[in-house]
Amino acid sequence: MSSRTPSSDDIVRPMQSTSKWYYVLFGVASLLALVWFGLWSIQLSQGLAVTNLADWGSGGGVTWGLYIGAFIWWVGIAHGGIILSAAVRLFGMKRYLPVARLAELLTIGALSMAGMYIVIHVGRPDRIVTSVVQAYPVTVHQSPLVWDVTVITMYMVMTLTYLGLTVRYDLARLRDDLPDILEPVYKIATLGYSEAEDEVIERIVWWLALGVIVMAPLLLHGGVIPWLFALLPSMPGWQGAIQGPQFLTIALTSAIAGVIILALTVRRAYDWYHILTDDVIRGLTLWLGLFSLLFVWLQLQQVITGVYAAPLDQRTFAAAKVTAPAYQFAIGVVLIALAYIFAQAVRPSIFSVRRSLAASVMVLAGTLTEKILFVFEGIEYPTFSMYANTPGEYFPSLIEIGSLVGTIAMCTLFFMVILKVVPVIELHAIEELRGEGHSAPGDDD
Amino acid sequence: MSKDDSSCGRDSCGCGENDETADESFHPMGEDYEEEMREMLDDTEYDTELGMDMAEDAMALIQGEISEAEFHDKYNEAVVEEFDVDDRPTVDAFEEMNAEEDESIFKKLTGGGDIADKLAGLDADTSQSRRDTMKKMGAAGAALGLGGVASAQGGSSDPKDDEYGANPVGDTSDEGTQLGMVIDLNRCDGCLECVTGCIEENNTSSGANWMYVLSYEDESTEQENFLVRPCQHCTNAPCEKVCPVRARHTRDKDGIVLTNYETCIGCRYCQVACPYGVNYFQWGEPDTPFDELMGADGDYDEDSLKEMDYEQRNQLLTENNDHIYDERGMWSDSRPPQGVMGKCTMCPTRQDGHSGEEKQGTVACMEACDAAGMSAIHFGDVNDPESRPRQYMRQRAEQEFARDTELDNGEQWGETVTPWAKLSAFKLLEDLGTRPNITYLGNQPGPEAEQVEGPVSYEQIGVTDNRKEHLDQYTFGAGDD
Repeated sequence: MSSRTPSSDDIVRPMQSTSKWYYVLFGVASLLALVWFGLWSIQLSQGLAVTNLADWGSGGGVTWGLYIGAFIWWVGIAHGGIILSAAVRLFGMKRYLPVARLAELLTIGALSMAGMYIVIHVGRPDRIVTSVVQAYPVTVHQSPLVWDVTVITMYMVMTLTYLGLTVRYDLARLRDDLPDILEPVYKIATLGYSEAEDEVIERIVWWLALGVIVMAPLLLHGGVIPWLFALLPSMPGWQGAIQGPQFLTIALTSAIAGVIILALTVRRAYDWYHILTDDVIRGLTLWLGLFSLLFVWLQLQQVITGVYAAPLDQRTFAAAKVTAPAYQFAIGVVLIALAYIFAQAVRPSIFSVRRSLAASVMVLAGTLTEKILFVFEGIEYPTFSMYANTPGEYFPSLIEIGSLVGTIAMCTLFFMVILKVVPVIELHAIEELRGEGHSAPGDDD
Repeated sequence: MSKDDSSCGRDSCGCGENDETADESFHPMGEDYEEEMREMLDDTEYDTELGMDMAEDAMALIQGEISEAEFHDKYNEAVVEEFDVDDRPTVDAFEEMNAEEDESIFKKLTGGGDIADKLAGLDADTSQSRRDTMKKMGAAGAALGLGGVASAQGGSSDPKDDEYGANPVGDTSDEGTQLGMVIDLNRCDGCLECVTGCIEENNTSSGANWMYVLSYEDESTEQENFLVRPCQHCTNAPCEKVCPVRARHTRDKDGIVLTNYETCIGCRYCQVACPYGVNYFQWGEPDTPFDELMGADGDYDEDSLKEMDYEQRNQLLTENNDHIYDERGMWSDSRPPQGVMGKCTMCPTRQDGHSGEEKQGTVACMEACDAAGMSAIHFGDVNDPESRPRQYMRQRAEQEFARDTELDNGEQWGETVTPWAKLSAFKLLEDLGTRPNITYLGNQPGPEAEQVEGPVSYEQIGVTDNRKEHLDQYTFGAGDD
């Protein structure tokens, strides 16, 4: 660990210098995104027939697959990200202040990708806006998919407000070190700024954080998103009250893994070892362990209640689930990550950032696999199971897999652009590390 | 308000305490409430006094002091005068009473005509004004708290009940026309004629078998079983509930569940919400181009149709034998376009008369089944006791009852056993609460039922069964052979 003192020069470094690797990564990500857009255009012209999806029932396929699975995965990362950031602010977890904005930005990037997946998934993307809007006053009362669109929009607005408000403090103070070319952007972002507003903004942000924390389990990833599935009576793999807690734990697990990967990447790229310290990574790793444990626990609950003496349809599903290699992979990697996290907690010498990075990547792969499997396996084992062609088969086609590569590339591009526009580490975090900490509202009274 | 014959004050009405006071309202909630009701009625275009009098007697009806038939009779003339038609919930009891009284005279006069037929005929002729009347009655009734009439009626005589006991069909949409089917699985021999009949009518793409027949084996029986599976056109359709754009909807006119092909975004939520697996998405370009659909040569589209008035639109659609746009000018019949969901429609354009009167009240699968000499599918208004499905059910119930009685050598069954009880009838996955409008006669598949190859295979009739295998050829990067 470095003993250098963090300074505001550190956090504006991404905007002042660009390394060779930045260009390389930017090029690769752009290329991958372009390839995906090419693939998508094929899907748009030839229809969803280019995927490996098909009708369930006599058709012998599954009608939802990787697109919806990846959609929930991205939404999960997004929701987990903002919950993490809100928790830092709300509970005064100052240790994690350096990753708070990274988590918020992850929310915006991931939420955008989730929104994109809705467009990718539907058969007639050209109609989405007109059709949804004209029916909205009625459908908002009954369709979980419309609830989804509503809360995702709401979350996007809240996160952008959150970020928009907190970034003013930094921009106003760091203005001279920021690139001139973006002057108009900063002018708009800091419109009417005066130091007198700092305290008010802090308070608004605190309330926003409270809103996020309260709504997360009730309405967002612990509510509306799982209701998309849990409310349907005919798919035993989806049905049930456990989906809410299960979705929320997976969201938090994925988001913390995402933040660890992001933090380690920028720390290396911009020499932020003294800001995003090993101590922060170690703490995040422990949180990752806690939520992974909850994830595994709820899986265990579902499996045991499913295989023991459940009604036939649930039992068939549970048996198929535990024997699916993809499921064993998903649970296996999370268990390995858990084993490492447990070991390093008991014996600190086992900890290394590389291992934490590997654990994070494994967890993300596990949650993604579990989400995709959850979606298509749920359809493969319906209550009405007489059809000879049911359960069908499903393995994502190249275009579907391409969408994953494409969205990850786009999310990367989003971060690379944002690195050049706003400081991804809050000035508050630097002040805190320097011991000139501002007092958060809620602390002082 | 006629206070002299107020029904309040009787012990049975439960407001006896009020009798001591000046409040002599017939309404259990008191005089103030009654005045409020009167004011509300004054605001409507209908006769206030009639409404108040009816409300008062409705209370007596609920207490069982007068019968439904008496109640109906008392205001029949006045209601007809005010609303043109009298179709209050008590109409059945009234008609029953009249039928009993009139039958002998009627028979003498007509030489044994069936009064039910006449009544059914009347029903059909006035179906439009009936709905209007119901709406008016609903408004007046709601203002008066007349809901009690409906609930009292529901309690005292189950609308499902007829002389046979609980009717397995009538448990659907409560009023108006509800198209549906009775499918006699004992008559089905698995010839799959209905499957091809549907494909030819709707030009569905390969593997989109809107009508599908499962031959199945069940652990409990040795015999060959069939399950004929069209869309169940549920009254409480999950597909409709989840649709984010209201493309999937129930048609007001006749209760069939349709997809608006012009607004569907292809999210396929209906398909995952449907417990029966009756939806078939248009994954790629449809096998039959739009131009080749029946009526596609017409010089109109959805927009221009919507601008026309009802008469003009339907004259045009009938002239064209249109099989694409229904009477509302909505593109909801025949195969869907690319990226849109399709499923069994119960042939709305036939019901709207676009294929001529002789096709009204028929569906392609039933026609094919009848033509094959099987007559297993009986389509019609399941709320109409004289419709083909309802008549068929009664006939079958009587057959079963007679056979059983014969076998038992006249042994007494007791009054609890009715013909319906002798009929093995079921609805598919009824406990999911979807309220399907298809009633099956025959054996219900058990939990271990598994589809097997039938006497006639899909391959034999040249129909794709496993659509996934068919679609694989279009999958990107696979099946290039």
